[in-house]
Amino acid sequence: MTADKMNETRQLTAKEKHDLEHVLPMWKIVWQQFTEHRMAVIGLCVIIFFVLIAAFAPVIKAVTGLDPEAQNPLSRYQPPLSRTMLPTDQRNDKVLEFENMNPNVAAELRKSLIEKSLVQSASEEDALYDLVAQKNTDEIREAMKLIPTEAADKFLPVVNTFETMHVFGTDELGRDVLMRLIYGTRVSMSVGLMVAFFSAFVGLLIGAVAGYYGGVMDAVLMRVTDALLSLPTLPFLIVMAAIDLNKVPLFKSLVGSENESIVKMVTILLLFSWMTIALLVRGSILSLREREFILAAKTLGAKDSTIIFRHMFPNVIAPMLVSVTLGVGNAILFESALSFLGLGIQPPTPSWGNMLYNAQELISEAPFLAFLPGLLILATVISFNYLGDGLQDAIDPKAIRR
Amino acid sequence: MTIMSSMTKSFLALTFIFALSAPMPASAALANDEFKIGITQEFENMNPLIMTMSASLYMYGLVGRALVSMNTSGKWYPQLAKSIPTIENGGAKIITVNGKKTVQAVWEIVPKAKWSDGKPVTCEDFQFARNVAENPNVSIASKETYTQVEKIEWDTKTPQKCTFTYDKARWDFNQLGQFFPLPKHLEEAVYKQWGSKREGYETNSNYNKNPTMAGLYNGPYIVQEVKLGSHVSFIPNKYFYGSAPHLKRIVIKLIPNTGTLEANLRSGTIDAVSSLGFSFDQALAFEKRVKSESLPFNVSFKPSLTYEHIDLNLDNPLLKDVRVRKALVFAINREDLVKALFEGKQTVAIHNLASIDPWYTNDPKKIVLYPYSKREASKLLDEAGWKMEKDGYRHKDGKKLTLQFMSTAGNKIRETVQPYLQAQWKTVGIDVQIKNEPARVFFGETTKKRNFGAMAMFAWVSSPEVSPKPQFHSSQIPTAKNGWSGQNITGWNDKKVDELCEKIDVEFDSKKRIGLAHELLKLYTDEVPTIPLYYRADVAVVPKTLKGFHLAGHQFSETNEVEKWQF
Amino acid sequence: MTTYILRRLIQTVVVILLLSYFCFYIMTLMPGDPVELMIQSNPKITSEDVARLRTLYGLDQPAYKRYLHWASTLVQGDLGYSRTYRVPVSELIGSKLINTFILSMSSLSLALMIAIPLGVLSALRAGSKLDYLVNFFAFAGISVPSFWLAIVLIIIFSVFFHLLPAGGTSTIGNELTGMAAILDRAKYLILPTMSLAYLQIGTFVRYTRSSMLEAMRNDYIRTAKAKGLSRQAVIWKHGFRNALLPLITVVTLSLSGIFSGALITESVFAYQGVGKLVYDSIIANDFNVAMVSFIISVTMVLIMNLLADVLYGFADPRISFK
Repeated sequence: MTADKMNETRQLTAKEKHDLEHVLPMWKIVWQQFTEHRMAVIGLCVIIFFVLIAAFAPVIKAVTGLDPEAQNPLSRYQPPLSRTMLPTDQRNDKVLEFENMNPNVAAELRKSLIEKSLVQSASEEDALYDLVAQKNTDEIREAMKLIPTEAADKFLPVVNTFETMHVFGTDELGRDVLMRLIYGTRVSMSVGLMVAFFSAFVGLLIGAVAGYYGGVMDAVLMRVTDALLSLPTLPFLIVMAAIDLNKVPLFKSLVGSENESIVKMVTILLLFSWMTIALLVRGSILSLREREFILAAKTLGAKDSTIIFRHMFPNVIAPMLVSVTLGVGNAILFESALSFLGLGIQPPTPSWGNMLYNAQELISEAPFLAFLPGLLILATVISFNYLGDGLQDAIDPKAIRR
Repeated sequence: MTIMSSMTKSFLALTFIFALSAPMPASAALANDEFKIGITQEFENMNPLIMTMSASLYMYGLVGRALVSMNTSGKWYPQLAKSIPTIENGGAKIITVNGKKTVQAVWEIVPKAKWSDGKPVTCEDFQFARNVAENPNVSIASKETYTQVEKIEWDTKTPQKCTFTYDKARWDFNQLGQFFPLPKHLEEAVYKQWGSKREGYETNSNYNKNPTMAGLYNGPYIVQEVKLGSHVSFIPNKYFYGSAPHLKRIVIKLIPNTGTLEANLRSGTIDAVSSLGFSFDQALAFEKRVKSESLPFNVSFKPSLTYEHIDLNLDNPLLKDVRVRKALVFAINREDLVKALFEGKQTVAIHNLASIDPWYTNDPKKIVLYPYSKREASKLLDEAGWKMEKDGYRHKDGKKLTLQFMSTAGNKIRETVQPYLQAQWKTVGIDVQIKNEPARVFFGETTKKRNFGAMAMFAWVSSPEVSPKPQFHSSQIPTAKNGWSGQNITGWNDKKVDELCEKIDVEFDSKKRIGLAHELLKLYTDEVPTIPLYYRADVAVVPKTLKGFHLAGHQFSETNEVEKWQF
Repeated sequence: MTTYILRRLIQTVVVILLLSYFCFYIMTLMPGDPVELMIQSNPKITSEDVARLRTLYGLDQPAYKRYLHWASTLVQGDLGYSRTYRVPVSELIGSKLINTFILSMSSLSLALMIAIPLGVLSALRAGSKLDYLVNFFAFAGISVPSFWLAIVLIIIFSVFFHLLPAGGTSTIGNELTGMAAILDRAKYLILPTMSLAYLQIGTFVRYTRSSMLEAMRNDYIRTAKAKGLSRQAVIWKHGFRNALLPLITVVTLSLSGIFSGALITESVFAYQGVGKLVYDSIIANDFNVAMVSFIISVTMVLIMNLLADVLYGFADPRISFK
């Protein structure tokens, strides 16, 4: 027994020795540390999941054939897992569209429908319309089986759009809630990520300049930062909402008007979120400034920009990363709070915030409508917070457990 | 996966609660003792001259009356007045003063009409109100309501029989629904002391400093307590001239969030929701719950005079062509919109007048109607040179038929209607881009300065037989020159229209007036400066056991009949 | 030390002055003015009325003139009138400030009462199941959308269980006195306090936990343990006392919000606080109300920042003021 134990200990020590001899690169240590934080890993998975959903939203749309904008006003506020039929009017529109796109196939179909008397029609022209008006989707599919396959195959996709399964039910215009949530994920996630990214950039720049040059520059920049931190945000939001971004010439070419409300939101949130990062960066740079390797670089005649970009930034990135991660979650939360005031992303562009706000008055009638976006916000923000926590532990040398 | 699983659990638990939650309101037995009404809009103190918020007007119905008011079918009836003077009944006559034609009318006040301290309401009180309104230091909103009466005279022996001399000969001289008297015996001292200071009177008025003072009100109730931003409570006025009200106490409570308003109703914190409460969607959903759970409430809907429409910017080069404007109307199925989104409880508008208006007509010989027809819309667009292309939209000279569609942000109904219409216009090849702004930006900047690209959706609160001049006369097109005043925001500039507007205002013969109004309607529906959508409905929720409650559907709200409410 | 505080105070006053003008100016930039908002509710208002009202309200004056006028009356101790409600600002804002103060103090103390023990406990048992649970609870607190939480609370406690009123500040019309009145107020306070406190608990737990972990890692803890001190003494006297330092900063900083009010929570619960008033006053261009509340909240932030720095100095002798 004792011998065995001795053996084990000796083996472990050998492994440790190996580890010590082959120094791991920094990112590997960080990654190892990070993976020990279980919740952070789960958070990361959740985030990756949502990012994938956001990125592949158009693919999901194409594969499922569900359109987040497709309306069905006769089936509003359907509960989850319900099936809806398109109203006759819209079915006719689809047929018309089909006829316009494939006139020859449509003619062939009409002819064989009449020939096999699958439909009672006064004139051949109306055959397809009468078919979709008289039969339900299953009956139409049956009928299609009796018809020259090529034509039928072309028509079946149209038939498939008549009936829709709504996993999470429908909203106030009979649109599919699942698809809207998926597109909402796209909007909310990109707002969160963009705000975090840009505020990191702005904060880094301002913090670095203030910290490195000090003096008047530092004083001015820091007073601006303090002022912004203590300023009530509301009047600014309203003023921002009033600015017509399309009037800025450069702007119009950069973003289409459908993205205007998103760009506006990112700009507003950015205005109020770069300060913490600036303070953080300034603090680190102040302490770095006095370090030997910077002094060495200076004496060697390195340019300011070289010192800042080459030698300082790599040391600042790590603590900033945490702040940026938390920033994504905060931006998503802030957007939902602004939606509550009607100042968030404007419908019909779906975002989690405005979907939640829109549903809140009907919380006892259509609870799913309000619960799902709320839940997604909660899950995402919590994941970002865990991720930030995990990163902090991972890059904090004091927390490294060897 | 622990996060997800525990979250799902709590989520399931919550939905479970929702599925089960069918509790009855806590206050089961409602009696005449106390009645609590919820509103969502802010209110101010109830000085009838000064107040401008709709919630205050709503509350003033409980405590104050005017000479006349409008009933639920849109007819004027006397309140403080014994009867309404007209030219026909001899109560009024057209006279000429210093070569100017004007009207003189005799208004007799109900002898029993008293202020809540027992002092009678007299001509003096009306004259005092008029004088206060004329003072440039007083921030009264609509001065003309009072100053249209130039002189008020009476014999000291009959202080309740007043002769009103008007400043102009206007046919609607007797529609004084918002001409409220002020208690001279209480307010004169304040006015004398502060009237010469800017905004001095209104800030020091008894209505402000001591709103529960006896004698400030003449309606069925008096104010018992006011907490701005929270609630107002009312108790019966023992000097009320009409029949005594049944309810012993009414509390109107402000709950700013519509989402929690319903929770308050269900938990019994309030007993009813006023017409300034639920959003329309919410009311529809709540009505279903009332049925499915047999809750003890009545959800009432009443078509109102609020005209929801889309104003077209006639300066937009694409909209200059009347065929495009007509196509826009033909392409939308308003009947289905009302059915699908409002369950038929709001009515389709064919023009700017509501069906209770005496000037209303739906006669296809007199006006142009636009029944839903995509074919018609396509035809008109084709004629106008807009050809359908592969991308599903129409183009002309390499330009896409794109129109901007603006409205107020945060209004759920509008935000629902917009994509609905957008989808319908898309089917005829019109690309519509939705862009919304917060209300203060939309009204304060965009519509005021006519900065909306093509279409602006909002509502007019109208009243029967309202003068068409402010909306249609070309002098009312807001420009930098006139300081952006005027409400003709479509930019409709038509000589014939101008003439008709001017004629209607001075036509005393009601038949001829209707004829002129129909001529104007013909032009309005033919030229399509505006796309009529629907008339909004007022909604309210009251306990099933409450009797005598009727929604008004116009600005003289249901509280004007509060004395009839009882359990 | 005194000169340091004095210098900071002077700086603070200058910043307040600058910011107040900035804020005033921003509000004048907002499209629309009170008169336009009036037109919306009353179609009868004519263009003459608009011009008359604008002159009456002084809206035709340039921004700096209006600001100077406002500032000079403020210096005379007159807060001015609320244009929306036509009552003195002091009258309007006074009771709401007290309500907001009560709500924020009760939620802050509730949050601290729950967060500190939880934070310490989870730090002591870092890595345990309990730690995970507490952490999750805390993170959920930081991550939940506040109006969603408020509505869920209302539905559970007032609609479903009928335990608490759904909204309001106190029961209307009940002329309660003494204990009964306090109890009545308390009943209305519970739900908003709970929802506000939960949002703060998250932050406090995180701070307590991490600073406690940090403190317990120090050498003096090992020394204290080695000395044979009781576990309780080690935790509270040596560990917690040192962990308090960063916590003080966080609490002082969150104190700066006690008069600003929580707009969203207040409006969902129809609670008579400043938050909703400030929002409405900005939307309605009620300058006097908005500016007063703005001054209060900015002053609180700046003062509390100063206080946090000073306290830090007292608590940590290593920091010196120059």
